[in-house]
Amino acid sequence: MNTKPSKGVGQRMPLYDGVEKVTGRAKYTADLFPRDALVGRIYRSPLPHAELIEVDVSAARSLPGVVAVITGADCDIPYGILPIAQNEFPLARDRVRYFGEPVAAVAAVDEETAERALKLIRLHVRELPIIDSIAKARAPDAALLHDKKPGNIEREVHNEFGDTAAGFAAADLVREQTYHAAEVNHAQMEPHAAFAAWEPEREQLTLHTCSMVPYYVHKKVAQCLGIDTAQVRVIKPYVGGAFGARVETLNFEIIVSLLARAARGAVRMQLTREESMLTHRGRPESETRVKLGMTRDGRITACECEVVQRGGAYAGYGIITILYAGALLNGIYDVKNVKYDGYRVYTNTPPCGAMRGHGTVNTRVAFESLMTSMAAELDLDPIEVRRRNRIPGPSVTPNGLRVESYGLPQCLDKVEEASGWRQLRGKLPKWKGIGMACSHFVSGSAKPVHFTGEPHATIVLKLDFDGGISILSGAADVGQGSTTIVAQVVVEVLGVDWRRVRVITNDSAVTPKDNGSYSSRVTFMVGNATLDAAQKLKQVLVEAAARRLQVEPDQVECLGESFHVLGDPSRAVSFSDATAEALVDTGTLHVKGTFTCPIEFQGGKHRGGAVGSTMGFSYAAQVVEVSVDPVTCRVSVDKIWAALDCGFAINPLAVEGQIQGGVFMGMGQGLSEQTRYENGKMSAANFLDYGFPTMAETPPIEVFIVESIDPNGPFGAKEASEGPLAGFPAALADAVRDATGLEFHEWPLTPERIAKAMEAREREQRAAARKTVRQPATAGAA
Amino acid sequence: MQELDIVKPASVAEAVSLHGGAVGARYLAGGTDLVPNMRRGLQKSRKLVDITGIEELRQIAFENGALRIGAGVTLEALCASDLVRRHAPLLALAASQVAGPTHRAAATLGGNLMQDTRCYFYNQSDFWRTANEYCMKAEGTICRVAPSSSRCWASYCGDVAPAMLVLGAEVDISGPTGNRREPLAALYADDGLQHLKLGPGDLLVSVEVPAQSGWTAGYEKVRVRGTIDFPLAGIAVAIKREGNRIADLRVACTGVNAYPGLVPNLEAWRGKEPDEAFFAALEKAVRKEIQPMESTLTAAGYRKRVALGLARKLVGELFESAGA
Ligand SMILES: Cc1cc2nc3c(=O)[nH]c(=O)nc-3n(C[C@H](O)[C@H](O)[C@H](O)COP(=O)(O)OP(=O)(O)OC[C@H]3O[C@@H](n4cnc5c(N)ncnc54)[C@H](O)[C@@H]3O)c2cc1C
Ligand code: SF4
Repeated sequence: MNTKPSKGVGQRMPLYDGVEKVTGRAKYTADLFPRDALVGRIYRSPLPHAELIEVDVSAARSLPGVVAVITGADCDIPYGILPIAQNEFPLARDRVRYFGEPVAAVAAVDEETAERALKLIRLHVRELPIIDSIAKARAPDAALLHDKKPGNIEREVHNEFGDTAAGFAAADLVREQTYHAAEVNHAQMEPHAAFAAWEPEREQLTLHTCSMVPYYVHKKVAQCLGIDTAQVRVIKPYVGGAFGARVETLNFEIIVSLLARAARGAVRMQLTREESMLTHRGRPESETRVKLGMTRDGRITACECEVVQRGGAYAGYGIITILYAGALLNGIYDVKNVKYDGYRVYTNTPPCGAMRGHGTVNTRVAFESLMTSMAAELDLDPIEVRRRNRIPGPSVTPNGLRVESYGLPQCLDKVEEASGWRQLRGKLPKWKGIGMACSHFVSGSAKPVHFTGEPHATIVLKLDFDGGISILSGAADVGQGSTTIVAQVVVEVLGVDWRRVRVITNDSAVTPKDNGSYSSRVTFMVGNATLDAAQKLKQVLVEAAARRLQVEPDQVECLGESFHVLGDPSRAVSFSDATAEALVDTGTLHVKGTFTCPIEFQGGKHRGGAVGSTMGFSYAAQVVEVSVDPVTCRVSVDKIWAALDCGFAINPLAVEGQIQGGVFMGMGQGLSEQTRYENGKMSAANFLDYGFPTMAETPPIEVFIVESIDPNGPFGAKEASEGPLAGFPAALADAVRDATGLEFHEWPLTPERIAKAMEAREREQRAAARKTVRQPATAGAA
Repeated sequence: MQELDIVKPASVAEAVSLHGGAVGARYLAGGTDLVPNMRRGLQKSRKLVDITGIEELRQIAFENGALRIGAGVTLEALCASDLVRRHAPLLALAASQVAGPTHRAAATLGGNLMQDTRCYFYNQSDFWRTANEYCMKAEGTICRVAPSSSRCWASYCGDVAPAMLVLGAEVDISGPTGNRREPLAALYADDGLQHLKLGPGDLLVSVEVPAQSGWTAGYEKVRVRGTIDFPLAGIAVAIKREGNRIADLRVACTGVNAYPGLVPNLEAWRGKEPDEAFFAALEKAVRKEIQPMESTLTAAGYRKRVALGLARKLVGELFESAGA
């Protein structure tokens, strides 16, 4: 073992599980399927909206090889991620509300039998009008998706902070614009998969699933099966990307569990790509109307924003999403007067959910776009305008959010300089352009989804006779690196050799509960809990070493693999001896660390005020350079410069990866990604048609890390993954405007959309030319 | 996917006899077109004759001023071949734009020329098509793109065929009724359901392309992403120049009809200067030849616009470079 204390944080190191993943050794849920498990398949609604009169599964049930068939009749307990909005059944009852909604499920001895059984299921329905757009949902005589939701409104939000009327009155320029963003899907690499084993003798269920929130899955599965949570064990293997797709309990996780119990055995279920996309929970299509007031020198005096989101058929995270869309109008610039109106509507499309940048992305895109457009009108540089609106110092936003560390100005400096902005903006050749925008995101929601009074994060360190330190973590690593972070923090505090440390994650029977990987909470909260645990373990070991060395604990210096008497290195005990001493009389050590966000960080007092609350915001600025092909109207992104204030980079390599990934995802939304529907039926549910970018469209992304050292983050760290996304679509549109002179208010900027705008301009130019020819005198006079 | 009988012959003759023109039998090459379609239930083959083990289908040779490429040559091998790059670089250029690199490692020239036509209503899962009550091309009766039409408008989206067409390729076919050679263009028909004029059991053995020398040629396709995507429209051009005049010109399109096709009547421009009247006439000729329908997620109007734009641009650029 090492003689010098090992360094943990601030190190550029590959992810703890990175080698397994890139070499293909890592086992994902579907790789772990037991061979003898039954095959579970879901029968899905072929209709977007219909009353279910009968679900006839008799023929399927009597097919040889079919072991169990279940329908909505087998579970009458609704579920949903938010305790106040649980309106979804794992299998539809009475009514189907989107194309692809699960209606029945079969467990059979093999794939072919399961497939044949599905074909034998018959539906008797009464079709209902398909409400597949915001306009249809909000029409005065629209059919209602849910009984107690008039106007198909899931949630309205109205709030005003400060005095917007006065703010607009004080402005020199007031502009208003509506922006439209298409619905997007996470398109994570690994399709959904789960397997459930019901042990009839012990009446216990073990569920393996690809979740980001095993704790919520645990609760909801127990709830829908009507069993005690003690009867359930949830294990999360490696996960191949998530981005919010798995941040709530999904129907298939409950269905496979119901099937396992019905079949009294083990059932495996692997969804196809189409089914994974139909499960959806992506970013909703949204219409965002923003109005800003600006002084002549670029200061924003007021902001008014109305957001309408097409939420899909069920509640899911919807209430949080529509609240987030308004809450994060704040916290990035110093704007005192902010009014927000939000509407989340129900439609016959798959339920939307939380996707990277939850709720905040389309609002930010709209805000940034208008801000830049107004700057241009005032002949101001967009970067300069952002500087003029910076938050002066630690402060509380009008809606009660706390800003403690703020590295946005440094981010702006970095990308401005590196990109050569001042030399390029407005000066590139025709069909080339450069644009910019900013964004931010929370480092964990300061108030958990389910309030329990428990700490917000818990980590257990186990130390036993072998001297190995097991970090027991419930944090769900879905590729973002939480497993790596906890290991780095432990090694940093204890200074022990890396080979002494193991991370054991996500087995509810072994690891402590964690709320899950949402709202970028893990590095901040779990990181802090790990820090607490490691410091406590260190204290235990120092005290044990002191006993062996017969000095007071404050006389002991910890060097990782050994403990010395201060000032006398010759008097030392090894880590093993200190461990042996620490185990005397107590045996195996379990040292627990926790973290809780103090109440003053938990948001404003107004209704919904907890949403957006956090202990620290990440900040990002990016510059994007593009070329537009005048013939194909295709935009190529030539270069991206992205800077992120993540407080402190516990692992700079991982942070860079997250920034690139976030920017890339913003690029997908900006350039080409969108879900499509044909009469309410999702129809580009595959990776050929959905159109996320490939490596061929991905330019060099130059990344800059800004470290503002947050006073509350572990070692000063904040969020590093969601923040950099939202700037991209706005920066892209800004760059395209610089290249073509055309302003876009709709995303994605597909070649077709750009061609249409070019054609419209060509028509206008032709008409103007005709007019000039016909009326030379008037034109001359004007 | 259904249960399959897969056989793997070692020679062309064996392949043809194993296939025998039987109903439900099909040749399997790289499988990059066939297998995804079969998984979606679009082709219900019961017997697959895997031709990837046939050595003679994988040869590339240059003889008597012509390049002969076996139908089983992978697109990756085609792109890397010195003979192809020397004598018909246009083919390597077009092949390099097919799908993505991993597809090209398996995909063959024969499969590319013979790939099925495509449509938004057709290239969908069985679940989706069942819910949308199918269409004429598979299991249904009406065309969803043009409901009052009696034909199918699915488009042929191969990238290599237009390049082959402008170079005047001929194909060798072996089948239960014997061997034959014919121009590649004669292989295709304007019908989304039956775009190939192949008899049951006909095997494409090789393609012969006269050397490109004397021609300046290019291929460009339009797609949303820089790789993987099929062409929304693709244009191949071969041009010969004498002084300031066009000595000869051929233009072929893909992705915009049920077949890859040469734009007719361009001979009229031999010996003329490519002035604005010429480009206007070229656009008119291309417009007349192509008929993109709403069979892709991208609107037909866009595909038409870029097909015209690309033809104009490529001809202009290639004429310039031919003079250089
Ligand atoms: C995601 C994706 C993207 C794609 N993008 C493109 C693209 O951009 N451009 C493009 O051109 N194609 C594209 N393709 C289609 C396909 O990959 C190519 O056309 C490829 O060249 C097909 O070759 P193959 O050997 O795989 O054919 P296969 O799939 O094996 O066969 C295709 C058809 O040809 C028949 N066939 C094959 N060989 C012969 C022969 N010698 N004689 C008679 N019949 C034969 C088969 O029976 C079958 O009907 C794409 C496919 C996918 C899955
Ligand atoms: S063009 Fe019409 S018939 Fe042909 S595949 Fe498309 S919808 Fe079907």
